[in-house]
Parts: sequence; C-alpha cells; structure tokens
Amino acid sequence: MGSVHPIRNARYLKPQKEWKEIIAIYLYLAGMGAGSFVIGVLIYWMDPKPNPSFLPSINLFGYALNLSGVPIFWGPIMVAIGTPFLILDLGIKWRFMYACLNPRTSWVARGFIILSIFIILGLALLAKSLLPFEWLHGESVLWHIVEIIALVFAFGTAIYTGILLKATKSIPLWNTHLLPLLFLVSALSTGSMAIILSTLGTGLFPYDTGAFRVLMRGEQIFVVIEGIVLYLFLSRRYRAAEQGKDSVRLLLFGEMKLIFWGGIVLLGFVFPIILETIASFFPGSPVLIFAAGILLLCGGFFLRLGVLHAGIKEQIPMHRLIEIQYNVMTDKTKALAGVRLKNPDELIADG
Amino acid sequence: MEVGVLVLSGHWGRLEMQGQEKVLVVDHRKCTGCRLCELVCSVFHTGSSNPSRSRIKVAKWEDVGFYLPMACNHCEQAYCVEVCPTKACHREPENNNRVTIDKKLCIGCRTCIIACPFGHPFFDIQERITVKCDYCDGDPQCVRFCDVKAISFTDADKTNMAKKREAFLKYAESMKQVR
Repeated sequence: MGSVHPIRNARYLKPQKEWKEIIAIYLYLAGMGAGSFVIGVLIYWMDPKPNPSFLPSINLFGYALNLSGVPIFWGPIMVAIGTPFLILDLGIKWRFMYACLNPRTSWVARGFIILSIFIILGLALLAKSLLPFEWLHGESVLWHIVEIIALVFAFGTAIYTGILLKATKSIPLWNTHLLPLLFLVSALSTGSMAIILSTLGTGLFPYDTGAFRVLMRGEQIFVVIEGIVLYLFLSRRYRAAEQGKDSVRLLLFGEMKLIFWGGIVLLGFVFPIILETIASFFPGSPVLIFAAGILLLCGGFFLRLGVLHAGIKEQIPMHRLIEIQYNVMTDKTKALAGVRLKNPDELIADG
Repeated sequence: MEVGVLVLSGHWGRLEMQGQEKVLVVDHRKCTGCRLCELVCSVFHTGSSNPSRSRIKVAKWEDVGFYLPMACNHCEQAYCVEVCPTKACHREPENNNRVTIDKKLCIGCRTCIIACPFGHPFFDIQERITVKCDYCDGDPQCVRFCDVKAISFTDADKTNMAKKREAFLKYAESMKQVR
C-alpha cells in the first residue's frame, strides 16, 4: 500500500464529523415512516378486505377503538419519533422553534415546515381511523383532500431527507439528484416492508392473500430499483469529482467497508432477497419474511449511516495551491537532505 | 519556486470592491506557526486563553515548516448564510460586509460548518453554538498581535485585487509546471 499523502488525507479529505448517528437515525425514521404512510394510504385507497378479527379490541372511556387502520397508518408516529433526534443533535435544543425562520434558502427550515405539516395531517388521519365516531367516518371530500395532501407531504418528507444532504454543495458525494431519489426509493422499500411486518404481525390481511402478495411484489420491485439507483449513485459520484471518488472508495474499500458490504449490501439487499425467495417455497411460514423484513430495515438504516459518514468536502483551489506548495517544499527538503548525504560519500570516494 | 501570497480573505469571487471595506489577508510565507493569533482571538471572544475556542486556526505541517493561518473568507456567495435555518448567520454590509453569527439566534445545528468549503465556522462546545471570525468588530486581534505581520487587515481595493491577480497568475503558472 502506498504512503498516504500528508495533506490530501490528513487534513482536508477526512469525512465530515458534524452529522453522525443521531442524524442517521432521524433520516431513517423520517424516510421509513413517510414511505410506510405512502404505502398505507395506497392500500387504504385500494380498499382490500381486512381481517379485523385478528386485532385486539381496546376500550377508551367506553368507546371501542377501531384498530384496523393502525397497521397501515402508523408512519407519522415514526416520523414524530425521529424528529426529536434532530432536536437532540442541536447545540441549544430549546431553540428548535427558530428553525423555520429562513425557508427562502435553507432546506433545514423548509424541512421543519414539511415534516410539521406531515406529522399533523398524518396523526389526524391515524386518529380518524382509530376513533369510532360515526360523524368522522362519513363520506366527505374534506377527508379525501386531507389524505391527498398528507400523501404529497409524505412524499415530500421521504425526498426531503435526501435533499437535506444534497443541499450541501461542498460535498460531492451528496450533491446529486440521485441522492433524494435513492432515499425516496429506500423509504418506499423499507416502508413497504415495515407495512408487511405490521400487517403480518397483526393479521390485518390473511397471509398469502391477494393484497399481501401485491404488497410483497411491490416491496421486491422497490428493493431492485433501490439497488439500481445505489449503483448509479456510486458510479456517477465516483466519476463526478476527486472527493466524490474518495468518498466512494472510503465507502467501498476504506473505513466504511464493513457498513457498506455488511450493512447495506448483505443486510439490505442480499439476505432479504435470499430469505424472501426461500419463503416463496414455504408459504405456510411467515418467520422467514419476518427475518427478511428485520434485515431489510437494518439495511435501510446503514444506507443512511454510510452515506452520511462518507461525505468528504470538495477540494477548493486554495487546497490545491497548498498541495503544490507542500510538494515544492518537500522536494526542497529532499534535495537538501540529498546534498547533505551526498557530500560525505563524495568525500569517502575521493579518499 | 514560490507560489505567491495566499489571499485567504476578501469576498471570494467578487470582481468589484466597494469603498472602505477591509479584509483579512494572510501571507503564509511570513507565518512562523507560533499560534499567538489563536490565543488572542480566544481571549478576545471568550475571555479564556483557549486556542480550541479561537475563530482562526493555524494549519501546520511541521515536517516542511509550512504554516497557514485560516480564517473566514466572508465569501460573496456565502453558503453558511444560505443554509442557516434561523438567519443567525447573516451579512452586515455596514461592518466591512462581514458575515457574522447572531449568538441569540444560533441553534447549533452545524449546517453552516458542513456547508462551508473552507471548513471555517467552528462549534463552540462550551457555548453550544457555532462561532466564526467577525473581524473583532473592526480591530482584528490576530492582526494586532502578529509579530511577523503574516496577517494584515487592509482595504479591499484594487491593490488587493492586483495582489490576488498576481497570486492566481502564479498559481496558474505553477499548475502548468506541475502538468
């Protein structure tokens, strides 16, 4: 292995350390929650025949809650759980309310607004599905509008997690349209798998019915698309800039290789595909699907963690200038050392 | 081969300078790496002699004796201002067109640190907010205390533009030699 350049790798080309695991958890929960909500609303609109007899009945103040909507509408809860992680990462946490003051140029501010609207509308729809009041469940255009707006903001939330990173122009790995697309597809794949797990666990849809098969097929398609987008993302970033190449190399062969090959490739793609293929031969056993689902969800988290940790800032002309200066000074130092070494030899040779 | 004076500050990308604006200019060839600038900066801004809380950092390569004081460039198109969600990071045209951070508005999200290509704003662990060079309200302490005058606070006029042009011409020339 060649020697490491003292300037290129020691000072400037270190990956960013500002956004760490806490932000990765936030990105993951926001993406997965929004993705599951999108899938949940689409299932709700397709109106499959649910199997509510599997669900337990809960009484609240004498009213029996309708739990049949919970396994498909829980997405906003995950986003609401994820958002405090963003607040947890702030230096002064109680000032988080200030974060929406500059939506004109700041994506953090825009995200604050997008997430707030999605959480409010999503939780309202979840509450509507839970509460047994008849006046809530009447055919109303208003609720359809709310569902459509919530769906749009769910898409917005899933894409926003990628745009937040893309907005950082100085990091070539992140500064691409493929990153929001990657995070969107990942949100849909992890979201659909999370919906499969929740419906499988609660018995909302009888296992191996038509609705369940559609859900499984959809999830498999999202995983394949995610794999293709991930390949395109890495190959384009590798060619984009010197630091893009460094980031990809760091991810594939450097310090992050365990996260990439173990966390993203094996847990997120290979194992779920193998387990789901095996599960298709044993239709009576949902255990394999559970295992595939858990692994795929872990893979979704590692994808965000890997992308975050591999972000290296672009080298500006000033850095290049310093590199040249450094090389010039190193050459001078070597030349001086050579002269010093040569003189005694010459003296010996001369006798 | 000398590459020339390295202009660290001065409204990156600006073509026309305005009247009496002043900028920090660094000549890395004069810097001895004493880090006194870091010390006085931290004393001025925090009251403690703690270089880790300084707004200027000296990058050092001891093996070749290369020292580079790095301060904020107060860029014309400042990414830190663009990405700040709270408008805490803002430009003050009345104060040498500096880019500064309002301590009362900063939430410590560190988005500006990630956005800055020069890696300048720093997170102050004690105050839990991001801090950056503010020219010490017109009297930069790093300039005042630099014995070798490696840092100067000079008018951002055409003279400096000429210096920049000279530096970049030398840079272009050295790039040709490297190729």
